[in-house]
Amino acid sequence: MTQRPTRTGELLSIDGLKTHFYTQDGVVKAVDGVSFGIRNGETLGVVGESGCGKSITALSVMRLIERPGRIVAGSIRLADRDLLALSDEEMRDVRGNAISMIFQEPMTSLNPVYPCGDQIAEAISLHEGIHRREAGDRAIEMLSQVGIPDAKRRAREYPHQLSGGMRQRVMIAMALSTNPELLIADEPTTALDVTIQAQILELMKALRERNRMAIMLITHDLGVIAEMADDVVVMYSGKVVESSDVNTVFEQPHHPYTKGLLASIPRLGEKRHRLEVIQGVVPNPLNLPKGCLFKRRCPSAMPVCDTPPPLQEIQPGHLSRCWLTPAGEPPEIGADAEAETAVAAAAALTVEA
Amino acid sequence: METTNPGAQPAAAPAAGETLLRVENLVKHFEIRGGLLGISTIGAVRAVDGVSFSVRKGETLGLVGESGCGKTTLGKVILRLIPATSGKVTVKNRVLFDIPTEEERKAGRRATVLDAGEMKKARRDLQVVFQDPYASLNPRMSVGEIVGEGPLVHGLTDKGKREDLVRELLARVGLNQSHIHRYPHEFSGGQRQRIGIARALALNPDFVVCDEPVSALDVSIQSQVLNLLDDLQQELGLTYLFIAHNLAVVEHISDRVGVMYLGMMVELAEVDDIYVRPAHPYTVALLSAVPDPNPRNRRRRVILKGDIPSPANPPSGCRFHTRCWLRERLGNPEQCTTVVPEFREIQPGHAVACHFAEEVTPDTIGAAARTGGPVAS
Amino acid sequence: MEGTQVTRIPGGAIPAVDEVDLTPVRTYWQLVRQRFVRHRLAVIAFFLMAILVTAAIAIPLLSGDAWKETSLERINQPASLTAPLGYDSLGINTFARLMKGLQTSLFIGFAAVLVIVFIGVTVGSTAGYFGGWVDNALMRVVDIVLSIPTFFLILMLVAFWGTGNVWVIIIAIGLTGWTTAARLVRAEFLSLREADFVQAAKALGAGDRRVVMRHMIPSAMAPVVVAATLGIADSVVVEAALSFLGFGITPPEASLGNMLTKAQDYFYRNPLLAWYPGITLVLVVLAASFLGDGLRDALDPRQRVETN
Repeated sequence: MTQRPTRTGELLSIDGLKTHFYTQDGVVKAVDGVSFGIRNGETLGVVGESGCGKSITALSVMRLIERPGRIVAGSIRLADRDLLALSDEEMRDVRGNAISMIFQEPMTSLNPVYPCGDQIAEAISLHEGIHRREAGDRAIEMLSQVGIPDAKRRAREYPHQLSGGMRQRVMIAMALSTNPELLIADEPTTALDVTIQAQILELMKALRERNRMAIMLITHDLGVIAEMADDVVVMYSGKVVESSDVNTVFEQPHHPYTKGLLASIPRLGEKRHRLEVIQGVVPNPLNLPKGCLFKRRCPSAMPVCDTPPPLQEIQPGHLSRCWLTPAGEPPEIGADAEAETAVAAAAALTVEA
Repeated sequence: METTNPGAQPAAAPAAGETLLRVENLVKHFEIRGGLLGISTIGAVRAVDGVSFSVRKGETLGLVGESGCGKTTLGKVILRLIPATSGKVTVKNRVLFDIPTEEERKAGRRATVLDAGEMKKARRDLQVVFQDPYASLNPRMSVGEIVGEGPLVHGLTDKGKREDLVRELLARVGLNQSHIHRYPHEFSGGQRQRIGIARALALNPDFVVCDEPVSALDVSIQSQVLNLLDDLQQELGLTYLFIAHNLAVVEHISDRVGVMYLGMMVELAEVDDIYVRPAHPYTVALLSAVPDPNPRNRRRRVILKGDIPSPANPPSGCRFHTRCWLRERLGNPEQCTTVVPEFREIQPGHAVACHFAEEVTPDTIGAAARTGGPVAS
Repeated sequence: MEGTQVTRIPGGAIPAVDEVDLTPVRTYWQLVRQRFVRHRLAVIAFFLMAILVTAAIAIPLLSGDAWKETSLERINQPASLTAPLGYDSLGINTFARLMKGLQTSLFIGFAAVLVIVFIGVTVGSTAGYFGGWVDNALMRVVDIVLSIPTFFLILMLVAFWGTGNVWVIIIAIGLTGWTTAARLVRAEFLSLREADFVQAAKALGAGDRRVVMRHMIPSAMAPVVVAATLGIADSVVVEAALSFLGFGITPPEASLGNMLTKAQDYFYRNPLLAWYPGITLVLVVLAASFLGDGLRDALDPRQRVETN
């Protein structure tokens, strides 16, 4: 799928989202003008390093941003509902039904004083208004669907009695018990061992097929993205720097950050003597550079990078926030164009996300 | 040399070169205490259960395994940060400790343990880099105090000389020398890990235990630190024991790799050998489980059943038998559940602890790989 | 060699980005101060405590024996410049006596807390560092001390060793109050023992003493400082209660507690005599409590500085 979908065919549409945190030391623009969409049944991978704003984007969709953070601009639409315009009560309803979220550490989202089965049953009975006993049976059914052996017994166990992998399965069962249209998975396998991660990823794939739900998969692990995602959004310092379908991002990355990221990871079976590195560190969110946020670490940095780069369409459906032309050349206006020329050129090159 | 334990011969010995570290029959059991006063022993977590290997000078031995396999405990026992239950560790021909097993003790063998003064000297050769760069630096000490602590403890009391040394070390690990008076919280994760490396190098050691040194770092920072470790090894002739769970990282940095499962070494071989021709069913599954950052390669995997058993109550016989795909395929031979497999060489320099290692072939692996379907355990 | 576009890091030039992205320099104590200053009540409490301590030291020093000098002529005289709170039924300058009482109470409060911290840190760090049976034995002692109704134990100790002696009161409060500090330090030590930076120090060859004094005690002190500050409030209240019951400081010596006792006799004629020591006592307790709260927030290195 090389064609980027039109905005109308999307289940979730995020447009110009800005979520800022007002700290004593200044404003942290954790999410600063993020736009992307997820179609029905699609898995979108959101990849980036810590502090890039990927989790804050997810929490913004759930409207779970807490002080000192605030959504200051943008829109988030689920099908034809404007999530940012809903009352708290309506939003709770959306969270319980249309969107579910699973987290990296399931222990934090499971209540330690109730048995796992009861927690799922409660979600089901709230969702469908059915009796608790019936909901309990459904909960056991859900647990066995996510591959928990001896589900009847496990349903009576408390979260701390389960292993990390089992807890993540319980979390998934709970998230899916309300049959959501969109599942947001924030680093769902990061805390797990690799053989358990493989189990959970297989499980998520199978459930995705069966429930035909959309998944927003947030991770820093490019391997997990390659394994699971249809489309990919790469974030850096609160902005989307590149987005396309998964094959394009991995095979023809355009943005120097994406390229650097792909080059710097050690891969199985490719024993190189030295790893490529991305120089330096992620910029301090309180002291962001002017213009392109990646320029200080970028091997292709040019004087023009002091002006915020355009979000260009490299190919249909492939966007990159960089001054380099689709062919990877310096821009037509020249590598050291005047700021005014550059601002105008950026506006002309930028496409609507 | 006594080789009483069948699972603990010093197999897969280095082919050539001087041996820097030798670990023999190392056992660490954490006693689980209980009872009214919390004094009586009610069980034991068998974190490390008879591990033997040696590391030759200048090489990197990678140790991989999942949580509970005992790799971190193994590192700490070698460093004598926690006392061993039994076993022997030799660094540069100096025996750090040689503790007999219960039976040997009854037969009259005594423990030898390096005394505090000698151990302090030995520590100059034996350093460590920790996983979490946030927890491993004392937040109340400046970078200069942290990196200079080793030299101070070992008698470099001259403040000026110590500061010169620290500045040199900071430059060596790629940090700005003028940061010497700053505090850890002012640095990013990658920079902190460089501070931790500088601290380890301050005593000019030969041997460094790297305990998951990059797993807490961001992807783009990991490669910086891995390259730094590579460079330092070449410049200073260091020897590494590199403990990690990321198989790609271990493949990149190691010369030889050992795979651990529930306190035992299950396979040990040259890096190219083990990654290309894994001989233990667990190694096969571990390698197969790593997601490949190549979307065209959504391959079929060998997916293991169930969870890693508790090291407090490990399975009988081969500890991997509860999750083994090969055992299932071979019709559940009785041997797997009753006999602890010998850690044997199947080729020179390639040792494996599996009764049926010869059955691990591309055919059997291919047949075990599958896709899709909720994986019921 | 592949990847040569990349500058070699060790030994070579230091990447400029390294510096640019460093967060602003702030030492641990600067951070602590910053967090403390944000806690408005704690700042007020800090100044209140400073004023109370200064007054309790300075005024008895300046006014000499005014706090115990009786005079038939001055009985129940109203307020004046030298006696802002007037004179009591014995003709003693009430303000001077109040300040002397405050001095005694604060002295007992601070000194008792020192005893508490000393015993608590010693017992707690020994238990936490050595663990095992040492820990078990010491913690059972803590349990035993905790199971005794503290106030009655203090009453008994004071009655046994002699009523009215400041040192006896300090020791009695100290001997019964150290358990919380001991438990806090022990808990900190148990987790610090496993902390990577402590392990790193051991791996460098640092001896037990250096590990404990340089790495563990400084890191374990934050909760102790908080507990000690709150303990001042407790100790002052215990002293007041003892003196009120006649087991503590007895007249002619002054303390907030025995001033309250005496004020009872004149409660209907001159209720203000009860209000003065009462309000002073409340101020001391509030100041110590809010100070403790502020320190708790400020000393926690995990706390980030945030507004709103």
